[in-house]
Amino acid sequence: MKNPIVTPAQAARERHASLSRRHFLRGLGTCLALPALESLHPLRALAGAASKVPVRMAFVYIPNGTIPSAWWPEGADGRDFALPRTLEPLAGLRQHLQLISGLDDVSANPGVDGAGDHARAGGTFLTGVRIRKTSGSDVHAGVSIDQVVAQQIGHLTRFPSLELTCDAVRKAGNCDSGYSCAYEYNLSWRSATQPLPPEPNPRLVFERLFGAGSRTERTRNLKLRQEEQHSILDFVLDDVKDMQRQVNGKDRQKLDQYLSSVREIEQRIEKTERMSVANPSMESPTGIPGSYEEHIALMFDMMVLAFQTDSTRIATLLMAGEGSNRTFPELGISEGHHNLTHHFNNSDMIAKVKEIDRWYVLQLSRFLEKMDRTKDSDGNSLLQNSMIVYGSGNADGNRHTHVNLPILLAGGAGGAFRGGRYIKSKSAPVTNLFLTMADRMGARGVEKHGDSTGHLSLS
Amino acid sequence: MTPGSQQVHRSCGLPPLPVRFALDWHWWLALWLSWSSSTLWATDRATAGREFHNKVQPLLNKYCSDCHLDGEKKGGVAFDELGSDRQTTDNYALWLAVLKNVRTGLMPPPKKAQPTLEEKAVLEQWIKYQAFDLDPRNPPAGKVTVRRLNRAEYRNTIRDLMGIDFKADEEFPPDDTGFGFDTIGDVLTVSPLLLEKYIVAAKAIVAQAVPLVDRQMAEKVIAGNTFRATDTNIVKEGKNFGRKDGLLSLSYYQAAEGTNSFNLEHSGSYRLGVEMAVRGTFDYDPGRCNVVIQLDGQELLRKEFAWYDYKLLHFDLERSLQAGDHSLSIAVEPLVPVAKKLNSLDIHLLSLKVRGPTEPTYWVRPPAYARFFGAAIPEGRFARRKYARTLLADLTRRAYRRPADERTVDRLAAFAESDYRKPGVSFESGMAHAMVAILSSPRFLFRMEQNEPTSSVVGGNVQVDEYALASRLSYFLWSTMPDETLFQLAGRHELRPNLNAQVKRMLEDKRADAMIRNFTGQWLQVRDVEGTSIDARVVLARDSGSEKQMRQEREAFLARLAQQNTTTNKPQASGTGGTNSSTPPRPRFTKPRIELDLELRQALQKETEMFVGSVFREDRSVTELLDSDYTFLNEKLGTLYGMTNVTGAEMRRVSLPAGSPRGGVLTEGSVLVVTSNPDRTSPVKRGLFVLDNILGMPPPPPPPNIPALEAAEKGASDHEPLLREMLALHRDKPLCASCHNRMDPIGLAFENFNAMGLWRDKERNQAIDATGKLASGETFASIHELKRILIVRHRPEFYRCLTEKLMTYALGRGLEYYDVETVDQIVNRLEKNNGRFSELLQGVIESAPFQKVQPLPASSTALSRERVDNQRPAKSPTL
Repeated sequence: MKNPIVTPAQAARERHASLSRRHFLRGLGTCLALPALESLHPLRALAGAASKVPVRMAFVYIPNGTIPSAWWPEGADGRDFALPRTLEPLAGLRQHLQLISGLDDVSANPGVDGAGDHARAGGTFLTGVRIRKTSGSDVHAGVSIDQVVAQQIGHLTRFPSLELTCDAVRKAGNCDSGYSCAYEYNLSWRSATQPLPPEPNPRLVFERLFGAGSRTERTRNLKLRQEEQHSILDFVLDDVKDMQRQVNGKDRQKLDQYLSSVREIEQRIEKTERMSVANPSMESPTGIPGSYEEHIALMFDMMVLAFQTDSTRIATLLMAGEGSNRTFPELGISEGHHNLTHHFNNSDMIAKVKEIDRWYVLQLSRFLEKMDRTKDSDGNSLLQNSMIVYGSGNADGNRHTHVNLPILLAGGAGGAFRGGRYIKSKSAPVTNLFLTMADRMGARGVEKHGDSTGHLSLS
Repeated sequence: MTPGSQQVHRSCGLPPLPVRFALDWHWWLALWLSWSSSTLWATDRATAGREFHNKVQPLLNKYCSDCHLDGEKKGGVAFDELGSDRQTTDNYALWLAVLKNVRTGLMPPPKKAQPTLEEKAVLEQWIKYQAFDLDPRNPPAGKVTVRRLNRAEYRNTIRDLMGIDFKADEEFPPDDTGFGFDTIGDVLTVSPLLLEKYIVAAKAIVAQAVPLVDRQMAEKVIAGNTFRATDTNIVKEGKNFGRKDGLLSLSYYQAAEGTNSFNLEHSGSYRLGVEMAVRGTFDYDPGRCNVVIQLDGQELLRKEFAWYDYKLLHFDLERSLQAGDHSLSIAVEPLVPVAKKLNSLDIHLLSLKVRGPTEPTYWVRPPAYARFFGAAIPEGRFARRKYARTLLADLTRRAYRRPADERTVDRLAAFAESDYRKPGVSFESGMAHAMVAILSSPRFLFRMEQNEPTSSVVGGNVQVDEYALASRLSYFLWSTMPDETLFQLAGRHELRPNLNAQVKRMLEDKRADAMIRNFTGQWLQVRDVEGTSIDARVVLARDSGSEKQMRQEREAFLARLAQQNTTTNKPQASGTGGTNSSTPPRPRFTKPRIELDLELRQALQKETEMFVGSVFREDRSVTELLDSDYTFLNEKLGTLYGMTNVTGAEMRRVSLPAGSPRGGVLTEGSVLVVTSNPDRTSPVKRGLFVLDNILGMPPPPPPPNIPALEAAEKGASDHEPLLREMLALHRDKPLCASCHNRMDPIGLAFENFNAMGLWRDKERNQAIDATGKLASGETFASIHELKRILIVRHRPEFYRCLTEKLMTYALGRGLEYYDVETVDQIVNRLEKNNGRFSELLQGVIESAPFQKVQPLPASSTALSRERVDNQRPAKSPTL
């Protein structure tokens, strides 16, 4: 329900960027057609010793699991599996995919906590730990794998990581069964108590990455913005230190969050001074589009851009908050997604969920195609140099199971992975896969993550 | 978007038992103040244990033995397996559950023998004053975590501090909520992303709000919405001549003219700026039109416009104008007949700015200048520094909501000076730079509180100082910073003595709309009305029993869509993606009879806000929230409610006819919509809504692997079953029955209202039966009777529930077991005073948790946490 009328204030803000997505895409097309310029890769110089092109890592989360029968191929594992219906949109990308069964997120099981499988699936997926059941105070999960890696290699890029979402609306009232909404809407956790709220507005993502304004003034604006930020940060740093002396307990925790945020921005500014900032040949997006499909496409575009320009190597994208009850008018489906997943074997409802599952995969396929068309600085495709996990912390939404999760791994990890495979793994924590990925990202000494029991072998 | 049945199966119930490791404040403090008090307390615990055996155990034996004694352990509760006396008395979670269950009449179950009022009182007294060890004269204040401004508070604070409207809800990520509200300190976190946004916002706000020169050209802004239609007979207002959000919206397809006028004081050279926008749909539309703007009958601008989904246009013109009155007009001349219209296409006139005279002699002070800089800026370095200090001290007092210390002001003044001493930088710019720092400071973004220095610690509580109290009041009632009156009173220590008068003034103030909107929006979830998916076609088809036809239409639609996708949809491959007139329009359904469009949804939300606002502001009984003889409607909402005597778009108070099923929030469209599924009503959600938000006795969350209601359709094969039948099948399972016996009868009483809140007599072409029997035994024949039962028989529960919700919102923390006494005292006030809202409001504001805080311990406190934990259980059950 987007207000069709634009207020003057809104209009004024959009003055610089009043271009539709169509124009934006035109720009993106040009950008992607260009071979990646050396100037877009300041890090090669910076990294120095590391001669190889960096590997990128992304996690794309879909809510409510998938219908298993339409997700998993029939028959044996290996290379000759037939793509099941939900995954059909990926047919052209088959050689880049590893479909892995047998991965579990047992931390999301009810255990002593009872109901709340959706909040738990969302809150545990990347953290791999049990989350504290609380509707408000003492939110407690764990550091998510993207942040574990970001804490090690984040300093190599301007942004340690990027957190994105296509779910811009928060519901009033409580979330799932006594769990804070923080678990459903944040995939990424910087610490056990500090979630990293994702950004829903593609315009703001773009401006943060490359600066605001028209193409010619962007880089200058970004510099200007950072210089100003620098002096402000210096100033408030003193404020927060003053205040910390006056508080204790949870108040101190809040101020610590503030303080560590100051430090992170300072580091980024310092990095920007060393690394040149890319300036994509396109206009900034205008805001959150009315259509969900376009919103997802734009957020994926932002991810491609961020990876292509090596602004970051780590990204998470929440398609919709876990337990999402979105309807899909574009598919003629007027019931909510979550309601439908509790289908209790009603064939009509199952059919609709399958349509939704497939629709999400279709959006993914467009992203992966773009990653495949985009050349990295070593001449390979960006997809070849990436690891994209697409999946959910819920397996079968109907029964709220968290074993044998739908997990798809796309990309070649810079040549380390062989695609086109269906791998039937023995039951193992999905965090084992994440450990393997962390390794590939160059994170050292990460021997354990959440409930992991070892590395998942993918060679 | 959020889960549907998840919403149903959420939260509460027997109070959830989160394990919390926070120190319990008053025990902790007692230890800190004097070690000997712990021995005292231990003695109290011994008494509590004795009393348990003497008074409580006999009651448990008498009334609970069938299910919770002698090997019976229903719900995991066995009163003879509680362990030692100490373990028994310290089991707060258990006793809180017992208290709630006995009070709400859930336990003992209605079929069993019931304790007398006196016996209940014995149990309650023991739990509150022995087990919980609460002092009724000085209940614990608890501890609220320092609160970051949420988006609404930030926006309002900027409005009041800087004088501009900053749309925080568009620029900042959504705030997390806790206990159902976005005011909870614990979940209002800060991330690098958010901090960066704060700094960017501070910069943008200061750039917009703070003038950097002391004189500039005068400017008149003529907003688009101040134009009036020339011929109201031809142009129907609201359709093709829309005034909204400051602008004028004109359709490409209908000739229309609007006029306006302005007056100039001086003759001279003027600059005219015209701001317009084309507003179309994403899909192409063939419309074209001419737009003509005239000034004093002379053509100022003539432009032809065609399709664009959104484009902003700016035209600058210079004219020499005489002093006196001038007339303006804007006209649309359609160039394409309406028959060719595919989507919609409008021209927006945002504003017309008249700047001048351009000659510097006529220049004026910028309007906002006085707000930030006062009169004249002194010359000379020291005079300027002193002046900067004065300005910054005053600004920080308001921005930090308390006088800033000398050091902070000095640092700011130096910060400003380091900027304005640079060559070419004005004093104003330097000050603006310091203001960016102020708005980025944690002192602004967090609400830091201090203790009242003159207040001594009583029962572990100490009063917050009057500045903190002023902020607690203003953020509770206004969602913004204190105004000058509150600051002045706090500065003179006169706020507490004048508390009631101030609360009254604040509630009457327009700013209190924020509390009504934000509290109501979250308590009754009416914030969600705009975003709730409801498919009007499906809902109406279900009412009329034409679902089969509906399904066939849908399949045909999908087939058309699929066909089009295979023939035309190769998205983005070419890079241009341009849609043009040769592309066939997307397949569409025909429009349903009534649709929940944006306008109607906003009216629904507004109705609830205005209604709750009237109860609060007119100091009515809060029971009117459950049933009333009036509501607030406009024409469109009147149509939804079948009341055709209301005309126009304006919402106004309307008396309900005798026997109307409306009246009270529960049968307002807003609540009925947010408790529905996209395709049908959900009696379960509606029942749960009442249990959760009205009675404060939500059932426990459901067991895993629950089947959806639709699954029960299979049980009735001869016809398409009604929801009532489906729920009955569902309740056949004993596992489901215990909770659904409580939810379903309530929810089914609302079955006469469909998922859009529209009254209906039939579902699937069969008459609706809205009779029922509550789990507590009362029977009702209609929604009217259910409302009466809620008011007459369940009033205390409603009072308690509303008190708990309002307190959570006001305090910014979840309620804890030790808040039971505070809540009880407010509920008693409501009972004694006919439920008047002022009693509730004053009760909350006068309560210990609102007025006081646990004092900051000295930083040298040596007591280790382990030692404290050994003394008192760390578990603190949430109320």
